[in-house]
Amino acid sequence: MTTTSTESPGTPPAAAEPVVTVRDLRQSYGDFEAVRGVSFDIRPGELFALLGTNGAGKTTTVDVLEGLRRATSGTVRVFGHDPYGQPAALRGRTNAVLQGDGLLDDLTVAETVVLSRDLAADPRDPAEVMELVGLTDKRSVAVRQLSGGQKRRLALACALVTRPEVLYLDEPTTGMDPEGRHEIWRLLRDLKEQGTAILLTTHYLEEAERLADRLAIMHRGEIRVEGTLQGVLADWGDRIGFRMPEDVGIADLPRPADTSVAVETRDQALWAAYTVSGPDIAGRASAAVAELLAWAGEHGTSLQHLHVRGASLEDVFLRVAGDLNQN
Amino acid sequence: MTIATTRTAPRPTMGALRQTLRLTRMEFTLFMRYKTAWLFLAMALFLIAVPLNTPGEEVFGGMASNELSALGMMGSIAVIIGVGHPSNVFTARREALVLKRMRAGGVPSAALFGAVTAIVAGFSLVIAALGVGLMVSVGAGMPQDPVMLLFAVALSAVPMTFLGLLITPLARNAESAQMAAMAPIMLLLFSGGVMPVGLFPDILHKIFSLLPSAATGQLIQAGYTGYDVFGGFEGASAVGPFELWVAALPSIGVLFAWTAVLGVAVHRWFKWDPRQA
Repeated sequence: MTTTSTESPGTPPAAAEPVVTVRDLRQSYGDFEAVRGVSFDIRPGELFALLGTNGAGKTTTVDVLEGLRRATSGTVRVFGHDPYGQPAALRGRTNAVLQGDGLLDDLTVAETVVLSRDLAADPRDPAEVMELVGLTDKRSVAVRQLSGGQKRRLALACALVTRPEVLYLDEPTTGMDPEGRHEIWRLLRDLKEQGTAILLTTHYLEEAERLADRLAIMHRGEIRVEGTLQGVLADWGDRIGFRMPEDVGIADLPRPADTSVAVETRDQALWAAYTVSGPDIAGRASAAVAELLAWAGEHGTSLQHLHVRGASLEDVFLRVAGDLNQN
Repeated sequence: MTIATTRTAPRPTMGALRQTLRLTRMEFTLFMRYKTAWLFLAMALFLIAVPLNTPGEEVFGGMASNELSALGMMGSIAVIIGVGHPSNVFTARREALVLKRMRAGGVPSAALFGAVTAIVAGFSLVIAALGVGLMVSVGAGMPQDPVMLLFAVALSAVPMTFLGLLITPLARNAESAQMAAMAPIMLLLFSGGVMPVGLFPDILHKIFSLLPSAATGQLIQAGYTGYDVFGGFEGASAVGPFELWVAALPSIGVLFAWTAVLGVAVHRWFKWDPRQA
């Protein structure tokens, strides 16, 4: 399987009108509120990644967008239509790859794709789609005989063959080997370039880093962080780290003159971590490093493995999940 | 290979009827591959054949009691296939998220239900045709009003399929759905199938005639014999085609009423997703 596209995420087409609009979405199951006031937009040609821990409310949000559940409150519009109340208006314009594959075990790969083709008004060629997802040589194999990764590819093929304008992908590469995952990523970039709006939920943060034009991190039903990857990481700031010297506790660590710099220990107090966020991160991080080196010189200690690095998406994700777990 | 460009022209649309026909083709393929489905077909045919191999006494118009029993069992074909097959496969599909995926892909519920109903009706008609063949082979003659007979079998497939679909919210997997389906199958078999309601005392006859399997059985008996059996076998008389259809209207009404009630119930209680409350 080969596709033609660049490796970097495309530029978010901010000028286009959103095709998916979610405002203050709330979804309850009895007394439990699974989604609590979620809002976001997705534009044509944009990939919006929805990240979060298990039970964060991602799948419930996607279910509402797919029209499978009526929102308890809030507004959800896809191409200006309510997906639950006006499903006929969206028929053929949206499709989904669910967390479970949702495939009929007794059909073959080709029969499965052809069935999806048959149910679409403006389908793609099934043979072309099977080649795109790398299943051409499995076309006569029964679905029950496929591996987990192959089933994910087939589920994606079933969605693609219907030529959707909006595609919901709930953990689409789970169970795939690294090579297969990269092939699917290239395919998704192609779809974006052609104007398909994509909502991606995933546990693979690297997937979001590579594909998402914008992303949001959900936890316990709320969006805690949202923006472009660069924006989210810039807001999160740089981290200065070093191995904790012998006989030094967190109370003994120097406090920089810049009081906005957060000081903490990590990995069972093996590492000291100073987080610098806000304006002029580079200048303020340099000043903090200078202060730390001066402190080490005064105390005759060395700061082993001293380093400064920008925050990763994993840092942000773990901080969001960790902060809320402590609450 | 690059994926084909997204079309910019206005998107065509596909009607629910066309989707239903295409899903019916899929249902047919899957039905042929399910061993359990073949078991339901064999069971329905077996239950028609059993009475024909037992002795019977003439009841009216040259028709023996065992032949009327066999015709009554024809009224239960859709009970066995319609309750047994959809309850089994739709529970399995719900748990495997097949139904959720299809709904998310824009397939309307009417198309999904319509396709399985069409398959139940189609195979019920095949078994009915084989049943007629068995009747002819034992010397019962040809049906007097085959249209009424086939109409009854096909129409009964609708409420029975809905009943099968209505069982799925009660079952957590295909095996428990099969178990749950046995209760209504047995109830309906013994209310007009095993023993024709025409042989029941008057009050029981009136009560059981309100059940879909009994109403179907009466329509089949009337269609086969050309006799107005809707008031019971006692005093049943041969009537013309028009009079027969007029006499059949209450039984047809019973089937439509069950279709409406069960249809509303399916719309209200059917679960598409294992997580659905």
